[in-house]
Amino acid sequence: MSRFLAVEDSLVRMQRDLDRATSEDPKKVKWGMVIDLAKCIGCHACTIACVAENKLPPGVVYRPVLENEKGTYPAVARKFVPRPCLQCQNPPCTKVCPVTATYKNEAGVVVVNYKRCIGCRYCLVACPYSARTSDFGDWYTEGVTEADEVVYGKNAAAESYEADPATEYGKKWPKRGKGSPIGNARKCHFCLHRLAVNMLPACVTTCIGRATIFGNRNDPESLVFEMIASARAYQLKEELGTQPAVYYLA
Amino acid sequence: MQYKFFPLLSFLAVAGLVIGSIGMFYRLLYGLNPVAFGSYVPWGLWVAFYLFFLGLSAGAFLVTILTYLLRIKPFKSIGPLSAFMVLICLFCEVLFILLDLGTMHRAFYQFFLTPSFSSLMTWMFILFNAMGIIYTLKTYFLVRGDIIREAPRQTGIVQSVYRLLAFGRTHYDHEMKAADDRRVHVLAWISLPVGLMFYAANGAFFAILINRPIWNSALTPLLFVVAALLSGGALVTVLTYLFGGQDIALRETLSIYLGRSVLFLLSLFLVLEAMQFFVGYQTGRTDIVTSLNHITIGPNWWTFWIVHLGIGSLIPLILLTFYSHHPKIVAWSCFLIFITFISVRYNFVIPDLAVYKLEGLESAFVHARLTTEYTPNLNEWLVSIWIISAGLLLFLLGTRYLPIVNFKIGGMNHAESEI
Repeated sequence: MSRFLAVEDSLVRMQRDLDRATSEDPKKVKWGMVIDLAKCIGCHACTIACVAENKLPPGVVYRPVLENEKGTYPAVARKFVPRPCLQCQNPPCTKVCPVTATYKNEAGVVVVNYKRCIGCRYCLVACPYSARTSDFGDWYTEGVTEADEVVYGKNAAAESYEADPATEYGKKWPKRGKGSPIGNARKCHFCLHRLAVNMLPACVTTCIGRATIFGNRNDPESLVFEMIASARAYQLKEELGTQPAVYYLA
Repeated sequence: MQYKFFPLLSFLAVAGLVIGSIGMFYRLLYGLNPVAFGSYVPWGLWVAFYLFFLGLSAGAFLVTILTYLLRIKPFKSIGPLSAFMVLICLFCEVLFILLDLGTMHRAFYQFFLTPSFSSLMTWMFILFNAMGIIYTLKTYFLVRGDIIREAPRQTGIVQSVYRLLAFGRTHYDHEMKAADDRRVHVLAWISLPVGLMFYAANGAFFAILINRPIWNSALTPLLFVVAALLSGGALVTVLTYLFGGQDIALRETLSIYLGRSVLFLLSLFLVLEAMQFFVGYQTGRTDIVTSLNHITIGPNWWTFWIVHLGIGSLIPLILLTFYSHHPKIVAWSCFLIFITFISVRYNFVIPDLAVYKLEGLESAFVHARLTTEYTPNLNEWLVSIWIISAGLLLFLLGTRYLPIVNFKIGGMNHAESEI
């Protein structure tokens, strides 16, 4: 390697880590994520990639990027904090669910069973990170005027794209407006449907600064394991004892 | 039973049902889409009303315990009415919560298929149903004698209902009366732990949330029980004054006695509330202070200072202290307390939700559902009006056509005097 290209792209290494993880005994895999705040430039590409990948409706967001500004001009500092679901290993949201619709799966990812959720939103209230949103059944095409043969009109747009559901959790969901996940709690699930086919989560592959690192945190050879061990690593609201599987690098 | 406000109240209830049906139509057709709350303030007016009716049922519950468990005789005249009030309040509570669910239909089976006993909501579901069963049976056994005796004297649909409820019986004797008495006593015994757990579970439901500093306190369940007894006790005092039997002296004595209890509960509640504010402000924590400021100087400051503290606390406090021997003034004071208590419930539910839990969340992804600003919209009010009107209509029909309240001494004794 030349002195100008000292290391391989972290995506390549993460893909290799992923290949290794998916070929292992699933019981040994615990997914984790590390977000390097020094590398995040606040482009919101991860947010948009997530919205597109999961076809999130208006008002539902899995991975917003928070902008924190400190100080007053001219002594001002700014940082960007992407906030997916932190996949707590001691999750406050699952304990409060009255019908076991949300739970931590074998790989340590907190999931929602859309067919069980009664939509009480107790989990939304219990989450210390506001990482859950409820699907109130809003449409992007609501209020859009119909203009057949002039522009791609409301009905056509809704029919061709918006009503067609994403394959979250690797399942085929009914057309939008015909039941769940409308009325349900929704959240980031580390793109489990992509992991199932050996693809990294959408937010990871779209991060232009390579600020998001993903992999099996039980694998000592993985990049994510290496980063979690960094002295810069910390967890959000650590004092609450929720033990997030998403770490930040200061 | 006949009472002079029946036509007016019935008209209001029917009008409320008609007007509110617009909101119900939108709610049932479009789910939660027409509501103003979102993902950061996920609970709104309907949860506040749920807590309001929960409080009212607690007061009525207390009277039934005093009457049928501790057998305090003066309360016997309002015993059946109190049991019936518990049922009406439970009816309103369940409607408010059902309509607040995103996928309402699943509540009817999912609790049975995959219950999670680590969730306090599951326990609330269990205890709620237990209360519903206990109070349905209790109310039935309290009025059964009157129903059997009165059935031949009724006409039309009322007679059919009476005969249906009498299960074909036409005779009611001392033995049956004694058996019903025993059943009511046993049910009262069962209802004591069930009721206490039910009301405490509702407080704990909020108190266990570690990320909600205003709620996450051991004081919350206590505050909940006191608040419930205060608002419910105030309602029962009003009902006692209005329906407490034909013995006016007894009715007024009872109202005065209840008024004193309400005064004590009001003072206790205000002390606890003051403690909550004092401790909260003293911590200086931004999230707590912001929540408290939301109550005291937020957009709905008037609901706290004018509605709750002014009309619902200060005026009743003065009246109950200086006019404690005037039953009518006591009843009016209690009316002010219970009718304004919705502001207490609203200011309990919303302020903690109305604070962003992470810095920068407010501008991270902008949408009407992703904000902490919440004001109930017309649709939420219309649905609330529909539910309250339905509860009022059931109350009116029950007290008019069933022997819940009678002109003699009261429920059971009515039948007893005839056998």
